[in-house]
Amino acid sequence: MNLQEKINQDFSQYKTQANSSDAFVQLREQAFTEFEKLGFPSTKHEEWKYTNLKPIAEQSFQATCEINPAVHAFVKQSIFSTIQANRLVFVNGSFVQELSTMLETNTEIIIGSLATERHKHKTIFEAHFGKYAQVEGQALNALNTALLSDGAFVVVPDGKTVSHPIVILNITDSSAINVLAQPRNLVVIGKSASVTIIEAYEAMGTNAAFTNGVTEVYAAENAHVEHYKIQQQAGESYQNNFTQIFQEANTNINHVTLTLDGTMVRNNLHFYMNGENCNSLLYGLYITDSKDFVDNHTRVDHAKPNCFSDEKYKGILKDQSTAVFNGKIMVHLDAQKTNAYQRNQNILLSDDATVNTKPQLEIFADDVKCTHGATIGQLDEEPMFYLRSRGIPEDVARKLLLNAFADDIAEKINIPELVTLLEQQIEHKL
Amino acid sequence: MAEEVDIIDQVVGQEYKYGFTTNIEMDTAPMGLTEDTIRFISAKKNEPEWMLEYRLKAYKYWLTLPDPNWQNFHYPPINYQDIIFYAAPKEKIKLDSLDQVDPELLKTFEKLGISLTEQKRLTGVAVDAVFDSVSIATTFKDQLKEKGVIFCSMSEAIHEHPELVKKYLSSVVPHTDNFFAALNSAVFSDGSFVYIPKGVRCPMELSTYFRINAENTGQFERTLIIADEGAYVSYLEGCTAPMRDENQLHAAVVELVALDNAEIKYSTVQNWYPGDKEGKGGIYNFVTKRGICLGDHAKISWTQVETGSAITWKYPSCILKGDYSVGEFFSVAVTNNMQQADTGTKMIHIGKHTKSRIVSKGISAGKSHNTYRGLVKVNKKAEKARNYTQCDSMLIGDRSGAHTFPYIEINNKSAMVEHEASTSKIGEDQIFYCNQRGIGTEEAIGLIVNGFCREVLNQLPMEFAVEAQKLLAVSLEGSVG
Repeated sequence: MNLQEKINQDFSQYKTQANSSDAFVQLREQAFTEFEKLGFPSTKHEEWKYTNLKPIAEQSFQATCEINPAVHAFVKQSIFSTIQANRLVFVNGSFVQELSTMLETNTEIIIGSLATERHKHKTIFEAHFGKYAQVEGQALNALNTALLSDGAFVVVPDGKTVSHPIVILNITDSSAINVLAQPRNLVVIGKSASVTIIEAYEAMGTNAAFTNGVTEVYAAENAHVEHYKIQQQAGESYQNNFTQIFQEANTNINHVTLTLDGTMVRNNLHFYMNGENCNSLLYGLYITDSKDFVDNHTRVDHAKPNCFSDEKYKGILKDQSTAVFNGKIMVHLDAQKTNAYQRNQNILLSDDATVNTKPQLEIFADDVKCTHGATIGQLDEEPMFYLRSRGIPEDVARKLLLNAFADDIAEKINIPELVTLLEQQIEHKL
Repeated sequence: MAEEVDIIDQVVGQEYKYGFTTNIEMDTAPMGLTEDTIRFISAKKNEPEWMLEYRLKAYKYWLTLPDPNWQNFHYPPINYQDIIFYAAPKEKIKLDSLDQVDPELLKTFEKLGISLTEQKRLTGVAVDAVFDSVSIATTFKDQLKEKGVIFCSMSEAIHEHPELVKKYLSSVVPHTDNFFAALNSAVFSDGSFVYIPKGVRCPMELSTYFRINAENTGQFERTLIIADEGAYVSYLEGCTAPMRDENQLHAAVVELVALDNAEIKYSTVQNWYPGDKEGKGGIYNFVTKRGICLGDHAKISWTQVETGSAITWKYPSCILKGDYSVGEFFSVAVTNNMQQADTGTKMIHIGKHTKSRIVSKGISAGKSHNTYRGLVKVNKKAEKARNYTQCDSMLIGDRSGAHTFPYIEINNKSAMVEHEASTSKIGEDQIFYCNQRGIGTEEAIGLIVNGFCREVLNQLPMEFAVEAQKLLAVSLEGSVG
């Protein structure tokens, strides 16, 4: 049974148990209709031109709630267990209470699983869920909405600060079968509140895993959010990720995506600035080897005047790996005094590596400053020569230069443990 | 702000200068497109059998294609049965000299500032004038013949140099390339043909002047330029059309072939009728232009100044097949009022050590939209390929749009590819600076825009550069407050 058939079966099964008078259930039914209409996007779709989903759509994947005891040991040795944090652990998309830890003492702050907390905080849930991540025309968002398993539900009331970072650790365990995980996170940050969120993706097991995640972040006026996404799924792991960040006036968002492993990773990161004086910072680093494929699609919507966005994505490609970057800056009508920057830089270390990049600007206002740029090349010969002429061996010099290249992104990370992780990975991969 | 709007209202767009029509007896094909239309065109031109077969093949392929829909602009679907695919001034006898050309026609070209009378040697440019679908006259033929340069109309070339036409026609833009290329291959009526023999540096600029005149017609011309080993040619193209309320289609195909060490420089100043302020009428300029550097060390350079047309949709491209070959693209696209442009280039690096450079300047004013779309592709075998792309946009007025869609596909690690783009508006301080020194706002804008485009204008041959600068000032007149 391929994925499409499996999905149809899963949904009809879900329908028999669901109470169709529930608004949430109706939303899911609508989403499923949309998914049925769209199907898996093909490479003929402009947004999926370079990303072929066939290997996923033709395999069989299964959603499962069973927890393998080996997961406990896996979580313990994970680097994300070393961070002093509120930790929510999801295995194959299901929340695992006994592996999670909670440090937050303020009971007004909600940090928990979506499946249970949504009943307790129905008004907040219904006011925000599915309001930002678009389902129309987005087949995989629709699929996630229709068949989501679980995910994090974070609500920070006005004026509150979460004292420790919140780690949302997603693990796919494919030891027994090919697994399908569809995590769905909802983060609602009140006025003048602040929070740090680390979304991490890891994998264990020898079969294939497909993660199709959606994260919605709502930031009310003056909110401050640090959002990190760390992807290091070993083995045959496929991942599609959609993150929609919705900003009200005077909000600051700092987002960093690190893609360190994964057979096929597709990230869709959308920012929407719905108020004036917003800052959106989005940074990314991808290091790929073997036949890995990484695709970063970003979109920044400057809908209101006087906002600032800065985007920088960097990539180091080895072996036969492929990277895709598609950045879109959309300056809406009357979003005057917009400042938007976008850069994508790639270093190719192998003749078989491929980079496809599309830095795009769409501008409908005249008083704006927008620049974008893309570069693709090898390591510069001059600094290399400089180092070698001072007695530094070639491989050390190369490592030094690559580290310097990656450092640009590393310095945007405010959590020391993550920087260490990144350094280790660079050391290990290069 | 109110003051700004006033100025805009006062002076928006000078009237289109070339909007007159010429009353001349025309020979036209029946309206619409069927196999018979193609046979009619082919018969009119007395074409050999292989040409007709080629046309029919293209037509059959065209029938299978849906209208393209990926572009970044809107236009109402074109009804291809409402177009006259062939219109020619009535031919009385075969023309031997210019004296026999209809004086009405000569007057038209004189009005446009194109001299067909060879006495005006000062201009030093050989002209092929294409009126509606047919080449009227080609000047300086004899002088070019001495050097072995062939410069004639396409229909002449099909008869007189069939071996060259057969070898190269459709070799760069096959009829299967795209919707409009297929259409053009089926119905093209005329165009220019240039062949520069081995080692010859063409002694003068070659130029084609296109004029659409008849109503309801589409213009489909086909240009083929071949530069043999070590040859050099600089080619210019200019165009105008009368003002009409309906949209007219111009779907041309241009193919350039450069062999070893050859260089082709192709410059366009496009000034088709852009439609009125409300966007009524105007030319749809849907053109396929592509050059191939077949040999090593070949060079193809495109320069375009696009100021006219209701919609401009074209991507003059270079296929860099020979090692060490060079492709260049310099473009200024200006849109005003309701005009739309989706233009750019493709640089396909196949050979080793190939280089390409793209400089694109987009200026959008009024309610117009200007899109740069470009592809830089480095194939796996294209070692040490180098590309530099710069595309800058300038916005004038808060209802205009500027869009950039570059595609960069790299399959070789030794490639060095850079892309840079920026968007800005004309700074108030810049205008203030000029005003302060007694330069009026209009003039200041002309000055700033010309400065913005200078890199591209510098690439144009002298005579054209002057014209282009004036054209820029005229197209933008009154668009700024």
